[in-house]
Amino acid sequence: MDHYSGSHKKDPHAHVIHQPGKRLMRAVKLKFVWNKVMGHSAKGVNANLNLVSFIDFLVVTVIFLLMSFSASGEIAVDRNVKLPKAENVEDVIDAPMVAVNGNNILVDGVPAGNTRAIEELGRLQKIDELFNMLKAKRELWKTVQPNKPFPGVCILQVDQDVPALVVKSVFQTAAFAGYPNVSFMVGKINTSK
Amino acid sequence: MGGVDVGEVGKKRATNSEINMIPFIDLLMVTIAFLLITAVWVTNSRINADAQVPGPPDPNKELTPTTPEKVLNLHISETEFGLVWKQGSTVVSELKVPKSPMEVEDGSRKIVRFPDLAKKLEAEWNQHGGHKDASDRKLDQCILHSDNKAPFKEIIGVLDALYASKREMRFPDGTAKKVPVFNMTFSVR
Repeated sequence: MDHYSGSHKKDPHAHVIHQPGKRLMRAVKLKFVWNKVMGHSAKGVNANLNLVSFIDFLVVTVIFLLMSFSASGEIAVDRNVKLPKAENVEDVIDAPMVAVNGNNILVDGVPAGNTRAIEELGRLQKIDELFNMLKAKRELWKTVQPNKPFPGVCILQVDQDVPALVVKSVFQTAAFAGYPNVSFMVGKINTSK
Repeated sequence: MGGVDVGEVGKKRATNSEINMIPFIDLLMVTIAFLLITAVWVTNSRINADAQVPGPPDPNKELTPTTPEKVLNLHISETEFGLVWKQGSTVVSELKVPKSPMEVEDGSRKIVRFPDLAKKLEAEWNQHGGHKDASDRKLDQCILHSDNKAPFKEIIGVLDALYASKREMRFPDGTAKKVPVFNMTFSVR
């Protein structure tokens, strides 16, 4: 601003405090060039953008996104499953995922049974395909980590309209396959509402 | 651009320097792009259930008769909930709670909640609960009896009410944490 005025020779504090104003094109050393680009003492045709507010906005956005960043990543939920919501919940942990929708039962995305068949039968039953897949997963886990106790946790992603009969059948099958600590995946209701 | 003006004294070479803000803005833009792409907007949680049932008795150990603990049996019927505390096969207390679901709109679907049931469950636990001390690591057991046709969202509504009551639990490392007072499992016939 004071590049060509030399006002700081009069004011000893001029080098510390400056009036707000244009900062761009101060690097132009020649006065006549500077006058030219600034419009010959007439109103300049070059418009300067104030970058301070823009940078403020970017910084605030970065801070917000960093605060809401989750390093654990997204947990895949079957597209056909509409999860119910609850308030008194816990954080999701890493465990085998059993998705139960209106038609199928899937273990980590691989089909492991039919929901309709259970509904048609009308009674609680052990689902053999699901049992075999969960058992295979448990044995694999024990082979990979022989010195650790098996946690026996699995997470059920059950569609909100699936009848209790199917839920209980899947629950019981999981328990038989060595997964007694079953959790149901739900959406979280914001307590601030 | 941002600049640092440190004055200009006499005929010495100017010590003013300008900080180029473009790389800084570029960095912010790239950071925002990365965070937006990797952001997880939908957060899921879980509700615990427990299928741990006592196994057959160990033939090598001598059985000592112990008084069975009080267990809450929560019956879900079409019109009401039945809260039955049982000690073994003896019914200790029984309470009926009318089923008054509170349906909360959530976009195109409805969330079913039972706030009245949550209050009654807390009162029942205060009266009959057996594990209240902070150093007690065990939880009171609740067995859920539901109709086979009940939709899953209704069961989750009941579980949400069941886990609304919390107590403090102290862990061996000295930390304390609020935990639900009940541990739930399904009744299977």
